[in-house]
Amino acid sequence: MHSPVTSEPIFRNAGAPSIVHSYSVRICHWINVIACVYLLVSGVHILLDFPELYWGHTGYRGYPAIFKLSDWGLSWEAAGKLGDRRWGRNYHVTFAWVFLINGFVYVAWNLHTSHFRKRMLPARAELTMAHVWTDLREHLRWRSRRHTSSSSYGALQKMSYLLLIFVFVPFMILTGVAQSPGFTAAIPVLLDMFGGRQSARTLHTVGTVVLALFVVVHLFEIVAAGFFARVRSMVTGKESIAVNTEITR
Amino acid sequence: MPPTVRGGLIGMADVLTMSSNRLLLSGQQLAREFSLSDVADPFPTWNQTNPKNVEYQRHAAEGFRTWQLPVNGLVARPSALTLDQIKSLAARTQITAHVCEQGWSAIGEWTGAPLQRVLEAAGGVTPTARYVVIDTYDGWYEGYDLFEVEHPQTILAYRLNGRDLPRGNGAPLRLRVERQCGYKNLKFVKSIRVVDSIAGIGKGTGGINSDSGFHWFAGV
Repeated sequence: MHSPVTSEPIFRNAGAPSIVHSYSVRICHWINVIACVYLLVSGVHILLDFPELYWGHTGYRGYPAIFKLSDWGLSWEAAGKLGDRRWGRNYHVTFAWVFLINGFVYVAWNLHTSHFRKRMLPARAELTMAHVWTDLREHLRWRSRRHTSSSSYGALQKMSYLLLIFVFVPFMILTGVAQSPGFTAAIPVLLDMFGGRQSARTLHTVGTVVLALFVVVHLFEIVAAGFFARVRSMVTGKESIAVNTEITR
Repeated sequence: MPPTVRGGLIGMADVLTMSSNRLLLSGQQLAREFSLSDVADPFPTWNQTNPKNVEYQRHAAEGFRTWQLPVNGLVARPSALTLDQIKSLAARTQITAHVCEQGWSAIGEWTGAPLQRVLEAAGGVTPTARYVVIDTYDGWYEGYDLFEVEHPQTILAYRLNGRDLPRGNGAPLRLRVERQCGYKNLKFVKSIRVVDSIAGIGKGTGGINSDSGFHWFAGV
């Protein structure tokens, strides 16, 4: 018997563990966690060392800025003491490579196994306003997701993951590389794509905030769905859900 | 590849960054050149703006009239060039962005002698040459491989925004290396030596910045 909405089977053998996260998904996920933590922290260090944001090609201390951390209570000097740009730059570039290579492996392997199509591509019925609205309302109520399977994603979840992986991550990579004097010499369109390297820097910073928000929501949902069981299933790949005979989405 | 490779993941990333960058730039493409309306004037200054070095102060006081740039090491004719001699070499003017690794950037109109022409004025580098090392009046030193040295935009600039290079921006000469971060664009150039190894220079990593733990190759 299949759900008319998601086409996923809705009867499961009670108690028998099923594989919900493949080997590559699990390994790439945890490498990604480490890389993203380092990228975030090192990125903050880099920004603190020069805590002003501009737009266009030009921006330096004294130039009109669209954001100044000193307007928000942290002086330039104090921010500079907090930020270690040498550590920041070394670790940011290093984990950018880890993130990129890991991400490439993850996407290439899982395109090959049709993981994205099976797990993340919303069915037509899930894309209706009514369905999305219902899904959103359920998320906003504290409605326990404990008894849903990790192999069955909701509509909003699917759309967020797809947007994250195929829109937002490329955006972060491009806005990062567009700040490099070497790579912009090789790929000059990067300089025009965002309006200049200061625009890229600003967008990259804004993107960091969006990424942090994603992580917060992600963690919240994992907790709502049963933290230890979900983390365990992302390590072992298996889940045992006692009662799982009807999933209404 | 960088002349020395750091250990661990960081070193591996350094190699990936430099090799991918150089692969993409194998055509020796130029960094973006802008128009005069993009120029920042007055051009911002950063870090050292007036080296305390006694010799520097003396030369600066007399407008660098008798100042000479020694070009030594693995060149056919080790020489010392005056500023006038350098200015008589075929000059290049480029309106390019100075991109500091800290995050700021500013566009300036630089005029100077391509480093390649300066080396040719000393007879050119010998076949065993691998790096050009530049020393400055404020104690900085940096190494550049020949690929970077030969690039048309690698110039010893003596003019900025149509005027003589101001002291704060590195008079009498500052290096422009347009495809790398600002800290490789040395100010207050004092001397040039061409070497086959950077092993004996500073702490042996190839420059003051890499000796301090920053990337030797600052393309990113």
